[in-house]
Amino acid sequence: MRVLFFLFILLNFIQLRGVEKAGQQRDEGSVRIVQLLRQENSVRRYPDALPSLLKMLNEKSSARFDTDPLFINNLTDERLFENPILYVNCDEQPNLEFPVEERDALRRYLELGGFLYLDAGIKASFLGADLGHSYAAWEERPEVRDLFAQVFPEKTFIPLSRDHDIFRTFFSGLPKNEDLKIQENQKRLPETVLTFVEREKWPQATYSFVGLKVKGRLACVASPICAMGWGRDEFGAWIPPISFRIRESAENFDKNLEIASFSGDTYEVTREDGLKDIIYSESGQRPAWVQEPGGKWRIFKYYSGEEISNYAHAFYSRLGMNVFLYALLN
Amino acid sequence: MKMFKLLIFFFLFSPVLFCEESTPLINKSTEADISIEGVDGNISSAPVKRSSESETIHRAGEDLRSLEVGKRVGAAKLLGKYRTTQASLLLIGSLDDESPLVRRAAMVSLAEHASYGFVVYDKPLVEKVYSKLGDSDVEVRREVSTMIPRLISGMMRSGMEIVEINGRKVYRSIPSTMRPDLIKITQDAFLDEDSIVRQNILKYHSYLRVPLTVSTMEKLLMDDDIGVLLTALNRIAVNASNPRIVDKVEKLSKHAEKGVRLKVVSVARDANRYHPGYRSILRDMTKDSDPEVLSMAAVELARFGERVPASVVEQIKNFLLEVDGLSTQVTTILYAISALGVDGVEVYRALTEHSSSKIRSVSWQRYLSLSEGWKKSSVWLPGVEDRDKKVRESVLNSVRGRTNSLGVEELSPLVDSQFSDVRIFAAQCLLNAKMDAVGALGFNLLIDEDTIVRSSTIRALSSRKVPGWVKVMTRSLLDDDYVIQRAAMDGLLDDRKVGVPALLEYINKNPNSRISNLASIELRKLGVQL
Repeated sequence: MRVLFFLFILLNFIQLRGVEKAGQQRDEGSVRIVQLLRQENSVRRYPDALPSLLKMLNEKSSARFDTDPLFINNLTDERLFENPILYVNCDEQPNLEFPVEERDALRRYLELGGFLYLDAGIKASFLGADLGHSYAAWEERPEVRDLFAQVFPEKTFIPLSRDHDIFRTFFSGLPKNEDLKIQENQKRLPETVLTFVEREKWPQATYSFVGLKVKGRLACVASPICAMGWGRDEFGAWIPPISFRIRESAENFDKNLEIASFSGDTYEVTREDGLKDIIYSESGQRPAWVQEPGGKWRIFKYYSGEEISNYAHAFYSRLGMNVFLYALLN
Repeated sequence: MKMFKLLIFFFLFSPVLFCEESTPLINKSTEADISIEGVDGNISSAPVKRSSESETIHRAGEDLRSLEVGKRVGAAKLLGKYRTTQASLLLIGSLDDESPLVRRAAMVSLAEHASYGFVVYDKPLVEKVYSKLGDSDVEVRREVSTMIPRLISGMMRSGMEIVEINGRKVYRSIPSTMRPDLIKITQDAFLDEDSIVRQNILKYHSYLRVPLTVSTMEKLLMDDDIGVLLTALNRIAVNASNPRIVDKVEKLSKHAEKGVRLKVVSVARDANRYHPGYRSILRDMTKDSDPEVLSMAAVELARFGERVPASVVEQIKNFLLEVDGLSTQVTTILYAISALGVDGVEVYRALTEHSSSKIRSVSWQRYLSLSEGWKKSSVWLPGVEDRDKKVRESVLNSVRGRTNSLGVEELSPLVDSQFSDVRIFAAQCLLNAKMDAVGALGFNLLIDEDTIVRSSTIRALSSRKVPGWVKVMTRSLLDDDYVIQRAAMDGLLDDRKVGVPALLEYINKNPNSRISNLASIELRKLGVQL
């Protein structure tokens, strides 16, 4: 029933959407994702990511995506208007400064029904030039804000609530042992990690997303980098390995961390509730600990290993699928 | 072990000595001015005095001896942030804590040190960390097994010892071997109850020089966990010639999981040199129910020089026609079809109509190359009608410079094309097309909206000297577009009899034209007096 419903909606989308030349998609029989890559020869961080995710979409759902994204160098490329979804990994662009023609084209694209997914459109300030981190901040990165201040001066990004449909379009909830293809009696994650993930990091498989509505429709979403979790090799194994950053507490930590030796800088990051976390991070190192509003202190611990990586990949892929299917359905 | 405990005791309870050792780091302490905003919004701005690194570590060391588990856990977590010898020693000392929570926290902190390159190199200490591979707590075992690559250099170090024999000092080398009890722990870990530990040991056992026996490998090749299975398949090289292993791989070639079967194809290809059984496995896999597995097996056999049955080729073609795009696996198959020889040509031809533009692009290129399709325009002409520019580029690049004496019928579709790249190609083809075709279609291209089409046509017409070409060139010199003027000038310069006089006349009439200056220079180079 769910499959039939989805097919019905998908067909309607393709036929009715205002994006120009949608008929061409129909002829090809599959939806093609457009990916912006402003510099063709730049180093790609996760080249297997999007094709792997699209393959997974085809395997797990009734949707049909061309697993080969269509790369464009600029937003005035006419092929953009032939396809309903534009994917941009902000970390793969030299910058997010677009000439007026491209900004106009982007505005027109979104107004005509296109959907823009800005991966790495959220990036906490303390990460600096380090691209391999996904950190749940609750506001778009400054470059994205500047760009959209020119594209839609009258609009702002707003955080998506945890109960937003985008987080449960197809998958709902965090991966279980069955989803991870591990035996029932195997430990999914270390206990402290699992508790933090389920309660705070990704509760109910949600994440820090901000969105922008155009004509009442969620037309653009930005998230911390998710593509790092989409890639698979030819045998289905996840690539590359992913580690977890977990906030942990212990007895006396409020006192201990407040006076513990530290020689780095502090950074403010916006939380889901709008308040600020103060991140303690030394230069060239991963953040050490955090002072949360209300005076609570917690330490960042880093976990790596097969089970961590597999879990992270499963989460990011399920989330990625939800985003692309939401884009199609809405 | 006694020596080790003494060493730990020595480090733990000699703070003065180790403070001195870590003196350069002591001065890292800073005073941070922290404003703590309370819930009520009142700001308390009293600066908090941070302690020095040695003070922090010393206090954590004391907490590690606390009777409260929570305090010990907190201390173990905090020490992960300080990469000093003293912190490492404290953490290693707490690996024998009765609480698994403390042991876990200590191991995670040691892993944090190691991730920054701060690895313990002292062999007894590394061996202590590694021995926790036999810990009763699964999280500790997982953490150790993940850390193995970072422990190897310390563990496998050779050394030297001085012993006294009959009152005489004798220097002896210590080989870089693993302690027998650690070897036993490692061998047990191959069959650990936790799949992550099994997987990690399988990955890293060769670095540890711990042999993997055939019987253990057999058990691992029957593992219920997919991750362990795939890793075990990656590690069969040493035992690949053993018939028992061949037998197990054959059983896996019918595994329910497609990824495992694909892995078997890859393993059977690489292990083919060890045992003929692997090629039989590949042959059997050409009957696999999944077309992707079947195709992979078939192309690997073709690469070995085996003829693939026509029915299998047909299935490969059908599989590729149905795929949604060019994934890594499909790319491998697509390029490997060339190994099928003549049979592959038909597959490529069929794929020129695929919905994926990348597949069409590769297929056109291969099809034209393998079938020498550039010789017959009817073969490649459909390719230039493709809606995707990359596909058209692929076709045009394959035939460019290879077409000869195209007639009106062949040139017409190119000239009438809606795509400028195709019309540019048509203009280039005028250089060696039949003269009647040049006469009939050249002028259509001269009025093309695209500048490059027009300039290419001008160059072709001047080269072919079609009737009235000088007039075309002199008219073109009057064009607003510099590219057109330049093409016309070049055409006239090539003909001293009629071209050069025409150009001279143009210069005389239009001395201030943009092209006149360059034309004068070029003419002087030819020795023409202006």
